Amino acid sequence: MNKAALLILLVGCLPLASAQDAPATIDLSDPDLVFVDESIIPIPLEIFASLDKLGAQDWGQQLESREIRLDTNRSRTAMLFGLVVSEGFIAVQAKDKEAVRGIGRDVLKLAGSLGVPGSVEVHANSIVTSAGRGDWPTVRQELDRTRQTVLDKMKELRDDELVDLVSLGGWLGGTEALASALKSNYSEEGSDLLNQPELVKQLKKAFNELPRRSKRGKVFVQVSKTLDHLESLMRTDDTGAISQGNVIEISLATSNLVNSIYES
Amino acid sequence: MRVRSLSTVLFAIAISSLVPFFVQAEAESVTAESEKTEPPDDIKLLAQSAALPALTGKNPFILRESWWNGTIEPGKAKLIQAQLFRRNEYQFWFAVPSVDAGLNLNIYNGEGELVPSETISYDATNVVSARLAPELTGIYYIRISLKTTVKDSQDWAVIYGYR
Repeated sequence: MNKAALLILLVGCLPLASAQDAPATIDLSDPDLVFVDESIIPIPLEIFASLDKLGAQDWGQQLESREIRLDTNRSRTAMLFGLVVSEGFIAVQAKDKEAVRGIGRDVLKLAGSLGVPGSVEVHANSIVTSAGRGDWPTVRQELDRTRQTVLDKMKELRDDELVDLVSLGGWLGGTEALASALKSNYSEEGSDLLNQPELVKQLKKAFNELPRRSKRGKVFVQVSKTLDHLESLMRTDDTGAISQGNVIEISLATSNLVNSIYES
Repeated sequence: MRVRSLSTVLFAIAISSLVPFFVQAEAESVTAESEKTEPPDDIKLLAQSAALPALTGKNPFILRESWWNGTIEPGKAKLIQAQLFRRNEYQFWFAVPSVDAGLNLNIYNGEGELVPSETISYDATNVVSARLAPELTGIYYIRISLKTTVKDSQDWAVIYGYR
């Protein structure tokens, strides 16, 4: 990029409001539409930010101290990595320094097992030291960076199936915490945060397309069944809410799966 | 807009934060020239520099580390699917390298209906932004398009933040 282009951009950093022409509707079934393949899975903090606007939640209650037992199954390790990072986001929301420090260490351990320790080390160290200072915005940013760094590194190493499993693990951990918080303190208004059928469909599609070698082990049969189940549960009814019964089921299904991943 | 009143200070921050990039851009110019494409991270940086004012202050947006990129032809549009949550506010930034480029960024709900959003354009037309507060939790489509003010396809980057 040349300097002139950058200077023009910098001068143009002053925003001006304007209206733009755009079609009022688009036919999403139009075969000529071009969709960007890449999906970005929301991080738990995005969802917690919305729930907190309805009233302060006790996020500390959603933190669970689980021991990580590593084995040679890299697919399970990838899911564990996603789960641990999501646990980190919960710890940030709960402002629990000790939990975040422990998660920083777990992140390093898992990154080592996935073969990407060097890329993550700087972020993991920053997570631990920033948590010690109570610098929560930095911890949050470093957790997101850790997650993204691992995804980028895996893409670089052509470990694409592991990328999907890290994303799936992260989403699962966040959904478990959200459903558990809603189960403890149900409100129709808050329940709509679980309205994610299209996202579950995307995750399910990505999971189903993984090669069989990436889904070895009983826990992956459970992943498949749980995603099927969640797709039907995670949609709002006519009132725009997800019933308390469904929230409880979502909480149970996600919690069972998370436990199985840790314990398998 | 409140951002405008802060722009002088933030402009200075933007410049200072980009000083290392000037050096880097200079060093990389040969590579970029020979490959005839802009490294994707540089385009992301264009979007980030435009985002800077929204990421500071009393109620800043929190920028996600994940982002989308690709290539787009003049006169064409692409759709990015994103799960958004009610009660949050989101802002998206769309950037391409050519300063002659004209961009559109609009947001549609899961039914394909245009949703009201605040479009923010800049003096430089190769970055555009849109801000919205979704009325419902669900899937939304970010529609990006490149006007025919340029002849060549453009690499692009879209970043987003929430609060």
